[in-house]
Amino acid sequence: MFSHFGRALRALAAIAALCAATAPASAHEGHDHGEQPAVSAGVLPRGETDSNAFEIVAVVRGDHLEIHIDRFATNEPVKGAIVEVETPDGSVKATENADGTYRLPAPWVAKNDRADLIFTVTAGDATDILPMTIQTARAPAQSAVQANADQSEHIGRNSILLALGGLLTGVLLTAIALRGRRAAALVVILAAFTGIRDTYAHEGHDGHGHEEDKAQVAINIVSGERAQRLADGTVFVPKTVQRIFALRTLIAEQAKHKKITELPGRIIPDPNASGYVQSAVGGRLSAPPDGFPRLGTRVKQGDILGYVTPPIQAIDVSDMRQRQGELDQQISIVERRFARYEQLAPSGAISRTQLEDTRLELEGLRDRRASIERASRREPEALIAPVAGIIAEGSAVAGQIVQPSSVVFNIIDPARLWVEALSFESFEPSQGARASTYTGRNYDLIYRGTGFADRSQSVPMHFAVTGDTAGLRAGQFLTVLVATDETKEGLAVPRSSVVRGSNGQDFVYEHVTPERFVPRSVRTEPLDGDRVLIVSGIASGKRVVSQGADLLDHVR
Amino acid sequence: MMLRYLVLGAALLAGLPAHAHEPKGSHGGRVGDAGGYHAELVVNDKSVEVFLIGEDDKPIDPKGFKGVAILNSGGKAERVTLAPSEKNALSGMAATVLPAQPKGAVQFTSPDGKTATARFD
Repeated sequence: MFSHFGRALRALAAIAALCAATAPASAHEGHDHGEQPAVSAGVLPRGETDSNAFEIVAVVRGDHLEIHIDRFATNEPVKGAIVEVETPDGSVKATENADGTYRLPAPWVAKNDRADLIFTVTAGDATDILPMTIQTARAPAQSAVQANADQSEHIGRNSILLALGGLLTGVLLTAIALRGRRAAALVVILAAFTGIRDTYAHEGHDGHGHEEDKAQVAINIVSGERAQRLADGTVFVPKTVQRIFALRTLIAEQAKHKKITELPGRIIPDPNASGYVQSAVGGRLSAPPDGFPRLGTRVKQGDILGYVTPPIQAIDVSDMRQRQGELDQQISIVERRFARYEQLAPSGAISRTQLEDTRLELEGLRDRRASIERASRREPEALIAPVAGIIAEGSAVAGQIVQPSSVVFNIIDPARLWVEALSFESFEPSQGARASTYTGRNYDLIYRGTGFADRSQSVPMHFAVTGDTAGLRAGQFLTVLVATDETKEGLAVPRSSVVRGSNGQDFVYEHVTPERFVPRSVRTEPLDGDRVLIVSGIASGKRVVSQGADLLDHVR
Repeated sequence: MMLRYLVLGAALLAGLPAHAHEPKGSHGGRVGDAGGYHAELVVNDKSVEVFLIGEDDKPIDPKGFKGVAILNSGGKAERVTLAPSEKNALSGMAATVLPAQPKGAVQFTSPDGKTATARFD
């Protein structure tokens, strides 16, 4: 009986101990959780540091460190640097890998869960000394966050368990009162409950029961080092991924910029380097000996591109026949007269003047006859290239009848193009202008002149494209950006820096720490072809992603 | 730790004195944060001295400590091994004359094997 009582007491003690064990667990939670939201598990242990020249991330890969060194301002990988690291085993030189990373043997990683290192990086004439701490064990901050998330669940479970404990105590006391053999059986049941309770408590501590964590763990096991968007919207991008994305940044400085006016424009050929090949008469087209020039053929000024043969109308033909007959008749009369006069002239019966007049009359008649002869076989009109260039338009077909003044070919010199833009106000651009196509290519323009006649409430302005005109074609629409004398203040960033969120807001990504990027909502205004002006949303001197921002934006 | 670098970087970018928040050293040197300590770096020609200050601003006896200072001397990194001296400091001698306020870092190991690093910009 005494032994029964003793066992019961021991069980009671066990319950008390368990209740005590769970209570501090909930009290202990909820302390301060780190400085930044934790990157989920699966990311390799790493350390990072930066100075105003370099940015270093060292990743522990087994028994060595993989070191990524980038320029602080541009995020460009630093190649060919001399890297010396002050490790727990003394000063060690890192070797450069073919892919631009550096490798450092790190046998000390296994021994300590925390290592203080000092990096000495010499690249070109810049030397920088950067300390770094690598934490190889899981940072306590992370488990704190997880535990925090579990807290509510935990407390609920605890109260149930406490109630259960109370119930069991009651049962136990009954058993003591009964003092029967059944008490022993009850104690066994109690022990079983205690076991269950133990596993519950254990699960609560680990935090693996949480569904989100399960999902994250699953992702991380599959992918290892991957970019991820953290709970606060920050994008964590490991250096390896940054290299793949080719992320580049720039330090955006507040500055005054000339205000830009955007005008809709269209490519037109330079009027002095383009021309139409038109037929002056209506007629039948025929090809020159080499055939008609096809589209895109380069032609020289003066080249014959075709012939137009005007047809002779029936009424003209009969008219000509009639005139021909008349002339033939007159010619034979005058010929006879001339022959007679020639015989009579030596005798003096006919004056020399009469003979001469008759001869001239005969010659005149013969000339007229010959010209009618020519007119009946009309010479075709040659179509001559007025300028050098390429055939931009035209589909000449042999035998085709062309109307007078119809355009047979359009010749454009592709190296000399103009832009006609429409402006609501007429102003003379003091600076140059730029044109930007929908594909994002930019062309420099020179102002040529502005029209004075209003055309649908705007005036045409002409610009000449300077430099390379590759990729442009006549009639193409583009945006002309004209600098005015007004100035605006803001941060100029490349157009590629700004990404548009699904809600239509504009964002830029700020590079805050070596592997973290924060989206910043900004307000932008057009600046020029390839830059936009950030008017508000980000402070001067911050590092803004200038290349690969769209890739960052797709990280989930 | 990360946040500290972030703040440091931001401060540098803003052109503010990087160590504006640090306590003033009692030996006329610059004071840097090193884990639970502060370290005051005093450079005089070739000699390098590091005074350790606890969180309560009391000097710490450097006995049993060892350290290394890596300092930027005219574009070259100078590595100076530090050992406790009678001046209650970790001190060492550089091979060349150092500038008055060299950039660099100081790492020291406490008798219990823990390391800490202070950065001087």
